Amino acid sequence: MKFAFMCKKGQAGGRGKVAVVGGGPAGLAATGYLVCYGYEVDVYEKLPLAGGMMMFGIPPYRIHRDSITEGIEDLEKNFGVKFSYRTKVFCGEPRHDEGDEFINNLIDLKKIVNEYDAVLLTTGIWSSRRLGVPGDNAKGVFSALEYVYSWWTYELGYTTHKPPVGNKVVVIGGGYSAIDAAEVALMKGAKEVYLTYRRTIREAPAGEYEVRRVVSEGVKWVELIQPTKVVVSNDKAVGVEFVKMRLGEPDETGRPRPVPMPGTEHVIEADMVLAAVGEIPTPPLNTECDGVKVDPKRKTIIVNERMQTGIEKVFAAGDVVTGPSMIGKAIGSGLRAATHLDHFLRAKKVV
Amino acid sequence: MDLETFSKYGGVNRVINYDVCIGCYTCEEVCSFIHEGKGYIVLYDIGGGLNKPISCFHCAKAPCVTACPTGAMHRDKDGAVLVDISKCIGCSACLAACPFGIPEIIPPGFATKCDLCNPLRSEGLTPGCVSMCPTRAIVWGTTAEVAKELRVRALKKLIYKPVP
Repeated sequence: MKFAFMCKKGQAGGRGKVAVVGGGPAGLAATGYLVCYGYEVDVYEKLPLAGGMMMFGIPPYRIHRDSITEGIEDLEKNFGVKFSYRTKVFCGEPRHDEGDEFINNLIDLKKIVNEYDAVLLTTGIWSSRRLGVPGDNAKGVFSALEYVYSWWTYELGYTTHKPPVGNKVVVIGGGYSAIDAAEVALMKGAKEVYLTYRRTIREAPAGEYEVRRVVSEGVKWVELIQPTKVVVSNDKAVGVEFVKMRLGEPDETGRPRPVPMPGTEHVIEADMVLAAVGEIPTPPLNTECDGVKVDPKRKTIIVNERMQTGIEKVFAAGDVVTGPSMIGKAIGSGLRAATHLDHFLRAKKVV
Repeated sequence: MDLETFSKYGGVNRVINYDVCIGCYTCEEVCSFIHEGKGYIVLYDIGGGLNKPISCFHCAKAPCVTACPTGAMHRDKDGAVLVDISKCIGCSACLAACPFGIPEIIPPGFATKCDLCNPLRSEGLTPGCVSMCPTRAIVWGTTAEVAKELRVRALKKLIYKPVP
């Protein structure tokens, strides 16, 4: 990838200093735009390497890591972008999100806002929704994101702790995270992998093709079941109790609502449970920070039509604004935010 | 090869390697960002939850260039097929001729299509979709370079077995 796709070399600079908080697709795309327009950009990243979900979420057999590192190196070497790794930026009492175990530094968001001409928040969705059933905190229960990124950080040498290989693995969910978690679990040596979803293959967000592809590799697909509890013995997960579902009337998303059928409870044995039931935005603040506000329900950062937060020089983009989406949508959002940020700083200079 | 022959038989081009495309929408988003909200490489849902991009193939023997009655549809020095809007009458002959349904007629009445990021190319840069594709699914270069890259990829698939 070449994030600075609009220019060969950066302009002489002097347009202003911008901090990008979160070096994922949205942050890197915005950085690429801003360096082409002569801004000096510092990227703050809590993980040991930039790329975000492209580097630590999506498996390397989908997106080659070389492709991302080449783009990061280009920004560093040819455009003078400074990356501060293992650095979490937060306002107030820091909340623990996934990937936080790599942090060495904690910087106050207010300090960053004071030190830079403008700030772009692109912190993504680094918190997995819990299953919300009894036993979901037992040993052997992981979020899909946590499980896959622990493999990638291990393979890249950022941790010596080898992630566990399941024997019988139950994955819960029907999206891309579920597909990837099931495939990774199987590749890493699990004997049996069940991919379970509460609706049918036709409603699975990852799509029928992807489900059939992992099934052809040996994953067992079980539809129309929903977990009711994780069966726990000596603090460890030993299975998942499911209830069978039927499809009801369409819900607010337009998909048929899955309705549990009482009396159909049954247990699938498992020593590893991977929950892939959605990710939640992780803004660098709790509810409010000097005017930057978080939507209490969606946990997204509230922005206006110019992608500005409550502080006029603080912008936000990517999944932390839109909720879980696609890499490309985050990149588009980052590029648009960078344009607004540029216009804002230019207008300020004129005044 | 002289320039005329070079551009006539494809010149530089872009080929989408659908095997490695993950349907992430980066190409469409970047394209529409560059072209003020209008994307010229666009993903479509083709069933089964698969979304894949399609754009102009900049054919070596482009039927749209042949069909265009006013000479608006032409080829530039790199081999890209472009529309000269001052000559275009918006007759849709190019769209009828295109086997992929690529050209579109937009208000006030001229054809529009992918220009392989003409302004970027004139500065020696590659089209936005090529630069930003995270999976390197969009292969770019002279036709010989593209062929070589695709052959190397095919070989790797034949030789390497997936390692767990």
